[in-house]
Amino acid sequence: MAEPELLLDSNIRLWVVLPIVFITFLVGVIRHYVSILLQSDKKLTLEQVSDSQVLIRSRILRENGKYIPKQSFLMRKFYFNNQEDGFFKKTKRKVVPPSPMTDPSMLTDMMKGNVTNVLPMILIGGWINWTFSGFVTTKVPFPLTLRFKPMLQQGIELLSLDASWVSSASWYFLNVFGLRSMYSLILGQDNGADQSRIMQEQMSGAAMAMPADTNKAFKAEWEALELTDHQWALESVEEELMSRELDLDGMFTAE
Amino acid sequence: MASVSEMYDVTWEEMRDKLRKWREDNHRNSEQIVDVAEELINEHASKLGDDIWIIYEQVMIAALDCSRDDLAWTCLQELKKQFPGSQRVKRLGGMRLEALEKYEEAGKQYDSILQEDPTNTAARKRKISILKAQGKNTDAIRELNEYLELFVGDQEAWHELSDLYINEHDYGKAAFCLEELMMTNPHNHLYCEQYAEVKYTQGGLENLELSRKYFAQALKLNNRNMRALFGLYMSASHIAASPKVNAAVKKANVKYAAWAANQINRAYQLAGRGTKENKCSVKAVEEMLESMQITMS
Repeated sequence: MAEPELLLDSNIRLWVVLPIVFITFLVGVIRHYVSILLQSDKKLTLEQVSDSQVLIRSRILRENGKYIPKQSFLMRKFYFNNQEDGFFKKTKRKVVPPSPMTDPSMLTDMMKGNVTNVLPMILIGGWINWTFSGFVTTKVPFPLTLRFKPMLQQGIELLSLDASWVSSASWYFLNVFGLRSMYSLILGQDNGADQSRIMQEQMSGAAMAMPADTNKAFKAEWEALELTDHQWALESVEEELMSRELDLDGMFTAE
Repeated sequence: MASVSEMYDVTWEEMRDKLRKWREDNHRNSEQIVDVAEELINEHASKLGDDIWIIYEQVMIAALDCSRDDLAWTCLQELKKQFPGSQRVKRLGGMRLEALEKYEEAGKQYDSILQEDPTNTAARKRKISILKAQGKNTDAIRELNEYLELFVGDQEAWHELSDLYINEHDYGKAAFCLEELMMTNPHNHLYCEQYAEVKYTQGGLENLELSRKYFAQALKLNNRNMRALFGLYMSASHIAASPKVNAAVKKANVKYAAWAANQINRAYQLAGRGTKENKCSVKAVEEMLESMQITMS
C-alpha cells in the first residue's frame, strides 16, 4: 500500500536536526574532558606489579622455552611447578573481593561514572524532549510496528501516524550511539565520551575483581606449564645453517 | 669558536630532530649531545615549546657524562621549577649527586623516592649502580638479585646481572641470566652469541657442544656475525681435538670447522677485493686457519 509521504517543514531540518547533532557532540566532548579531570590515579601495589611480571615470565617460558637448553628449561619448570615448594603451588595471595560498599575507592569510581555518563544523558534527553516536542522530526528508513509508537513518538498524539516517523527525543538517542565513531576519530581511542563502552563495563564490572584473579591466574599458569614439553629448537641447527653458503652481501662497502 | 650550526650548516629544527633521533635510539654520544643541545637551549629555547623539558633531561645526563656540572645544574633547576614534586626530576638530582661522588646523599635521595612510591624501578636501579660505582661488586650482585626477585621482567637488569657475574667469573650464573634474555628475545643474535661465549669459557665437553650450537644459531639469525663464525670454528675445532670424543662426533666437528673456515676465507676475500693491505690480511687468516687445522687421527 502506497505510503503517503509527509512533507516536513525544512525549518525542522535547520533548527532541530542539526542543533541536536551539535548538542550531542559537544556534550560528549565535554564529558570526555570532565572524565579526564575527575580521573583518580590508579596506584598499583608492589605485589601486584611483581605478580604480573611473574605471570609474564612463566608465559614466556612456555612459549619460548624451546630456545634454551633442556636442562635450563627443566630447572625453571621445576622452580615454578614443584609439588612442595614451587612458586605457583606455594604462593597464596590474600584475596579481598572488592565489594562496592566496603571499598571506598570503588564507590567513588562508580559514583563518578554515573555522574559523568548517565546523568547528562537523562537530563539532556529530558530537556530535548521538552523543548522540541509536538512535531515529527525525522523518519527512520525501515518500517516499524505500532508497538514502537509510544516510545518513539513522545508528545505526538496521532493514532494513524506511521511508527517510522519519530520525534526529536529518539533522534537524540540515535545520535548518542551514532557519534561514537566520531569521538574515536577526534578524541582518539579509549575516550571518556564513549557511553556504550561505559555501560558494558558497568555490566561486567561486578565480575571483574582483579585480586581474586591472581590465585586463579597462578593455578591456570601451573596447569599450562605442567603440560608444556621442551622441544629444543636447536637440534639440527648446524645442518640447517650449513646447507647453504652464508649470505655476506653488503657486509663490506667499497672504500 | 664556531657554533655547531655554523660548522655543520644545520638549522635549529634539524638539530632538534637529531636530538630526538639520538634519544629514541638510546645513543650515548654525550659530547655531541652537549654541543648541539647547549646551543639549542641558549639560542632557540623559546622556539622549542614543550620539547624543551625532555631535551633538558637528555642534556643533563649527557652533561653528567662529560663532567659539565654547570650545565647539569642549570638543567636541573629548570626542571625543578617546572615539575616541582616529580620523582623523575628527583632521580636526575640523585644522578647528579652520584656524578659528584656524593654517594651517601644520592642514596638518601633515592630512598625518599622509594618511600613515596615503592614500585619505582628507576630509583632502585640507581642505588645498585651506586654500589657498582663504589666497586662493591658482591653487594651490587646481591641487591640486583633481590631487585630481580621482585621485578622478574626487567631485561636491562638481567643483562646487567650477567655482566656482573662475568666480571666475578661466575659463568654458570651468567649463563642463567643470558638464558632469560634469550627467552624474551629469541630473535636477537647478540644474546645467542654472548651465551655461546660464556658456555665456551666455562669449558667441558657438554658446554662446548652447547656453545657450538648457539654460535650456529647466532649465525642463522644473522649471517654476517663474524664473531659467531669464528666462535663456531673455535668450538668445533676444540671438540674435534678433544680426546674424549668418539670418531663420529670428531668427524662431524671437523666438517663443521672446515665449513666455518671456508666461510671465513670467503668473507676475507670479499673484504680484500682490490687493496694491497687487505691482501696481506687474507693471507694472515689463511695461515692462522692452517695452523689451527686438526689432523684426523
